[in-house]
Amino acid sequence: MEELVVLRGIVKRFPGVIANDHVDFTLRKGEVHALLGENGAGKTTLVNILYGLYKPDEGEIYVKGRKVELKSPRDAIELGIGMVHQNFRLIETHTVLENIVLGAKDLEFKIDFKKHGEKIRRLAETYGWKIDPEMKIWQLSAGEKQQVELLKILYRGADILILDEPTSVLTPQETRELFRALRRMAAEGKGIIFITHKLNEVVEVSDRVTVMRKGKVVITKNTRETTQEELANHMVGRPVVFRPEIAETRPGDEIAKIIDLEALSDKGVPALRKVNLTIRSGEIVGIAGISGNGQVELAEVIVGLRKATGGKVIIDGIDVTNEDPKRIIELGVAYIPPESTRWGIIQDMRIVDNLFLKAYRYPPYSNRLVLNWKKIFEDSEKLVRKFEIITPSIFAKARSLSGGNIQRLILARELSGLIGGKIPKLIIAAYPTKGLDVGATEFVHKTLMKYKKLGSGILFISEDLDEIMMLSDRIAVMLEGRITGILSREEADIEKLGLLMSKAVAQAR
Amino acid sequence: MPRKIRTPLGVVRIERRVTYPRYISVLTTLLAIFLAFAAVAIILTLMGVDAANAFMIIGKAFIDPRLLLQSIKQAIPICLSALGVGIAFKMNFWNIGAEGQIYMGMLASTGMVLLHAYYGMFNEQSLLAIMFISSFILGGAWCLLPAFLRAKLNVNEILTTLMLNYVAILIVDYLIHGPWRDPRGYGFPLSIEFPDYAKLLFIFNNPSYTGLLIAVLGAAAAYFILKYTKLGFEIKVVGQNPNVARYAGINISKVITLGGFLSGGLAGIGGLSIVSGIIGRLRPRASPGYGYTAIIVAALAGLNPWLIVVASIFFGGLLTAGESLQASMNIPKTATQMIQAIIFLFILMGEFFKRYRIVFERKEGGKGA
Repeated sequence: MEELVVLRGIVKRFPGVIANDHVDFTLRKGEVHALLGENGAGKTTLVNILYGLYKPDEGEIYVKGRKVELKSPRDAIELGIGMVHQNFRLIETHTVLENIVLGAKDLEFKIDFKKHGEKIRRLAETYGWKIDPEMKIWQLSAGEKQQVELLKILYRGADILILDEPTSVLTPQETRELFRALRRMAAEGKGIIFITHKLNEVVEVSDRVTVMRKGKVVITKNTRETTQEELANHMVGRPVVFRPEIAETRPGDEIAKIIDLEALSDKGVPALRKVNLTIRSGEIVGIAGISGNGQVELAEVIVGLRKATGGKVIIDGIDVTNEDPKRIIELGVAYIPPESTRWGIIQDMRIVDNLFLKAYRYPPYSNRLVLNWKKIFEDSEKLVRKFEIITPSIFAKARSLSGGNIQRLILARELSGLIGGKIPKLIIAAYPTKGLDVGATEFVHKTLMKYKKLGSGILFISEDLDEIMMLSDRIAVMLEGRITGILSREEADIEKLGLLMSKAVAQAR
Repeated sequence: MPRKIRTPLGVVRIERRVTYPRYISVLTTLLAIFLAFAAVAIILTLMGVDAANAFMIIGKAFIDPRLLLQSIKQAIPICLSALGVGIAFKMNFWNIGAEGQIYMGMLASTGMVLLHAYYGMFNEQSLLAIMFISSFILGGAWCLLPAFLRAKLNVNEILTTLMLNYVAILIVDYLIHGPWRDPRGYGFPLSIEFPDYAKLLFIFNNPSYTGLLIAVLGAAAAYFILKYTKLGFEIKVVGQNPNVARYAGINISKVITLGGFLSGGLAGIGGLSIVSGIIGRLRPRASPGYGYTAIIVAALAGLNPWLIVVASIFFGGLLTAGESLQASMNIPKTATQMIQAIIFLFILMGEFFKRYRIVFERKEGGKGA
């Protein structure tokens, strides 16, 4: 078996961290090689080195048997290496054809677009893609844009393909289509590096898998000879419980009722179009869908951070539409915001300050004017212990915490009943596990389950269908600001959810 | 990504420091001041002045007891307004209108004295207290307007606070040339002299000691507000991240309005300390820019109330030294402003070196990087 890429002893240091610590990696001809690891394990750094974006501090790179020094992506492209980044790099107002030709090599002086268009169409067909080269990029779905990215690379003859978390923007159907195409490319003798942190994808598509943890390679194995459990343990460095115990509760009273809710996005275009939803106590309602279809706007309107332009939000029988966030907090609504490192904490304030970001203004933590720091410190110590936040001190800056610990801090602040000593009636969790490692994800799942059992109503927004199906009692699918369907846990499967998530359904309506 | 500058010898990279210990911070500031004085020495020499002698005179402003008291006296308005500026800056409200708020404070205190002297209002015991309250309120009101506009309509406060400075100075100018002029003052634009019970003389019968006490009390109040009150906590949260503040249910408009009032109020008391402490009456251009110096002081002290007290005495000393330099060496008083500016520039540069470090790579190692 011919080796396309050999990386030997790669070391890359950034101020304060070693992103790659003596990494060895090989890519063979005709294989899909999954690169698995949690966030910050060094996967992206490694492929950026191979793509010429970073220069390694130590180590050697061999491409097709020759030792090379990559000074820039141009050198990498010259060697037949192509990369699909997480966010697409296409010109939205240009056509598919123009975008692809833009990256082609050895262009003739007067570009024969017709010839190129025909060749691209044929290339697309070999992978089962139906793409019209004359379409403008902005008219395409995320899955199609990704196909264009791949075509761009293939068209210039690349045979070493790097895909950085390619499935995060796809529906399940699109994912399956992508995997089929990747298998086909491998069969043609190309080598594919597939970066992911999802175990099921590794098992589904790859021939070999390399697991990275904290900048080091833990193991490289044939996928057939391993299991998801084994991979997870390598990834995290300890045994992992996959499924939290599902608490069977009988849903109680209606906690939140959303009626014909409408709102605008930041850009001023409709983000919610007549959304209707009820959440009862002791129930987890999942919101599935590709992000950017109104999920965050829905959460923000409920908690009072975004104006509703129509409809109503009723919490516990009280109409709170367009009330200010403080009043909604006081009604017992907890909110775990998306991208919590940015929207949920203040990086340069201490852990205590962040824990009491909401409760500081209520007794016993303050009187009319003055804060009761002694009580705040005492309870912070307790919370840090109870929510297993790993930190040398409650006075450390929040910035010093890892992503998982930041999420624990937010859970502690939102859920532990600091305000009025009661558990939250309604919990809005927007992408609470996104970007977290397996251990922290497990903690979030367990915690949500626990509060479901205690009687909170939970709105759980996620892109990860496995997670949604595992935790939710009912699943609502959002697309372009509408709820396209609500399924019970028993009814829901990947197939049905995927259909509700895709544009075809919306257009049929 | 670190920034890179290519030079013939190799690559110079500017890297963000991951952490920097406190001693680096302190050392950098001290080094900046030292280098600033070195730069000043060069300029003075070029001006044909004996730099060593000039520095002796500057040093005296901090050592000679009589001059030190003078330095402290000048530091009081700077200190109080810098405390106000510090509170505003903490909440990312760029109040550069301390000068105008000082003038409104002077206007309020003088107004009360005139009401007392001309119309017999207030008794002698309560006059000073009433002056304090009214100068705080009027100084605060002068900042309240920009704060309110910023909170409700998102009007840029840098412009409004700055422009209101000129309005305040001109109002005081008008009053002192017109209705408030001392009828027995031979037409000079001066108010009547304040009676002793309207002056800051209650400690050792000396405005410097009295003012110092007020400044320290002001610093204690600012420290207490920021550290122990709900409002102080909210000010810090709003300043750090307004989005998160909104998420936490904090009423940002209210915080900015209240914080702005507090900020202006402290500068207003700074105004009182000029008319009641330094001059003893109101005259045009009574503040030679204390409110602007306060911005430098607040920044230099890293917005820490206690360091603001120290830094203002330093700048008060420079002002006193400026007067001595003019008297004994015939150096224009504006030279001290130059010294202030140079110090400030060096400190800004120091801030850069606290956050970033410069890495130099030799050519052979850094080839193609």
